[in-house]
Amino acid sequence: MNDSNNTAFALVDIRGLHKRFGATEVLKGIDLQVRRKEVICIIGKSGSGKSTLLRCINGLETFEQGSLSVDGQPLRHGDRNAMRELRQQVGMIFQSFNLFPHLGAGRNVMLAPSLVKGLPKDEARTRAQALLARVGLDGLFDRLPDQLSGGQQQRVAIARALAMDPTVLLCDEITSALDPELVGEVLQVIEMLAEEGMTLILVTHEMAFARKVSDRIVFMHQGLIHETGTPDEIFNRPQTPELRQFLSALRD
Amino acid sequence: MIEFNFAVVLAQWPMLLHGLGLTAALTAASALLGSVLGTACAWARLHGSATLKWLVGAYVELVRNTPFIIQLFFIFFGLPSLGVRLSVEVACVLSMVLNLGAYACEIIRAGLQATGRGQIEAAMSLALTPWQIFSRVVLPPALARIWPALVSQIIIVMLGSAVCGQISAEEMSQAANLISSRTFRSFESYIVVTLAYLALAVVLRQLLNWLGPRFIFVSR
Amino acid sequence: MVQFSLWDILTFLLGAMRWTVLLSLIAFVGGGLVGLGLLLLRFAQLRGVGTLVTWYVQIFQGTPLLMQLFLVYFGLALLGMDTSPLVSAAICLTLYASAYLTEIWRGCVNAVHRGQWEASASLALDYRQQMRHVILPQAARVAIAPTVGFMVQIIKGTALASVIGFVELTKAGQMISNATYQPFLAYTFVGLLYFTLCYPLSRWSQRLESRRLA
Repeated sequence: MNDSNNTAFALVDIRGLHKRFGATEVLKGIDLQVRRKEVICIIGKSGSGKSTLLRCINGLETFEQGSLSVDGQPLRHGDRNAMRELRQQVGMIFQSFNLFPHLGAGRNVMLAPSLVKGLPKDEARTRAQALLARVGLDGLFDRLPDQLSGGQQQRVAIARALAMDPTVLLCDEITSALDPELVGEVLQVIEMLAEEGMTLILVTHEMAFARKVSDRIVFMHQGLIHETGTPDEIFNRPQTPELRQFLSALRD
Repeated sequence: MIEFNFAVVLAQWPMLLHGLGLTAALTAASALLGSVLGTACAWARLHGSATLKWLVGAYVELVRNTPFIIQLFFIFFGLPSLGVRLSVEVACVLSMVLNLGAYACEIIRAGLQATGRGQIEAAMSLALTPWQIFSRVVLPPALARIWPALVSQIIIVMLGSAVCGQISAEEMSQAANLISSRTFRSFESYIVVTLAYLALAVVLRQLLNWLGPRFIFVSR
Repeated sequence: MVQFSLWDILTFLLGAMRWTVLLSLIAFVGGGLVGLGLLLLRFAQLRGVGTLVTWYVQIFQGTPLLMQLFLVYFGLALLGMDTSPLVSAAICLTLYASAYLTEIWRGCVNAVHRGQWEASASLALDYRQQMRHVILPQAARVAIAPTVGFMVQIIKGTALASVIGFVELTKAGQMISNATYQPFLAYTFVGLLYFTLCYPLSRWSQRLESRRLA
């Protein structure tokens, strides 16, 4: 469990990543290494490339230049089986939840383990029930997504991602689409996961939360990582004018 | 080994051209008249008396739920029993107009219903007459809205006109029949004519998409 | 001229109508299966397949059904197969239906939110699993109304099988018209019979569509 600290083995290793959308270059050379059990929060203005970077990690976006490996395995976009292997290691939670509307909460959680890992139905069911309980949704197994509040839906989404036993969890602005009073229940679950040692990479606007849970904060600006540091360094001693400007805009 | 002989079929190009001409003429006439009929029916369904609404509704449902070939046979073979004897071409145009009219009614009605209330109120405040409001303010944007659907329906009617050969109208499918019996090359004859229909469909779509924004949506 | 009673006429037409219904069902089921196959191929992101399917659809949607029937009829004869009008019509209408249905269903799959593809991909589901468990169930809900609506088109399409000699409702109507010298009566009856087949389906499709939008 301690090899991650002394060998500095990067669970997610990104080097020189470049990505364009058409003629626009959105990621201009990203270098980032995330260690096991680390909690990283990526902050920055809209359009800075935060979500795009996150989506590159599980292959929802391709990139033109650079390298990206997860647990030592480089990303191979063309190889569908390799991508599926990757996605069993890397889970994702979306801003708009993306729950399967035709399945109940429990069946949303059960689906991937039974199809991808071949788990027998009853085992998948028991696991799903346990996971739902873990995120505080005990007893809501049969509820359809449209019968749940936004906060509950997002927690189902977290349980669904956890059901695959990922080593890394990517969270793409998971509270941005929630009413303010529902944000807390979701962040609580994430905090719990962080305490339990899950490797987390979050794109978020929730600064207080970022400050509380992160081991490291990454500030992105115009497609590049502008500053990184501990929460204390980033929030209390911003080095670059762009970060200072970003933080002061938040305070208003 | 299957041998194809397209040369003899293509040698009959005057007949093909004649058929193409009649198909194009039938389509042009029915597109125009059918759209006008459709517009009138759409208006009637939205603003007419209860009886008128029911009558138009019955017409629309009857046409949309029976095959075109039966409509054609009814008009050409059936109406003479009532003393109405029509030439082949007139029967074809009439059938196609009535057919397009029913579908166009529903398509245009949807376009009209999407008119913002504010448009009509603004026009009324400018003291326009009801006819002016309809023809200058409501109809052009409505047509622009539903143009792709109407164009597709016109093409469907054009393709459906192939059936007119069954009452010996000298349009393209009849040309195929005649060429086929003349050259004994059925498959090649029908391939050539089918490709001609395909080409006509493509050209017609382009033409209507060019015509619409230039002449029809523009209110004069 | 033999005198036929109205009842004779009606029973003859109803007998022929069975063939209309049979041909319609064959085309619908066969076309549905082929159309579904084409749909799955189309979204599988295989090189060139999408273009081929698009061409297939364009050909059937851009040419008259009557010409398609002739081509299948004479085409099968060229290949040396003994074609009955029923077999030719069944094959042609099946292909015709498959082209339209696959296009209708393509729209329905496209109506499913992109996020569903992303979420299921993120859970490491493969294409078949995505389609079967996540995408198609959702697309199916949107698809019911237009699919039922297309059934009406198929039924009307079977009327053209009369031209290649298949004795269904339209052909029966022609036969009655010729035998009784009463085309007005014959075609009125035939029209009404088609109406009774098609109108309930049209209404059902409209109800389904408004229920979906509600």
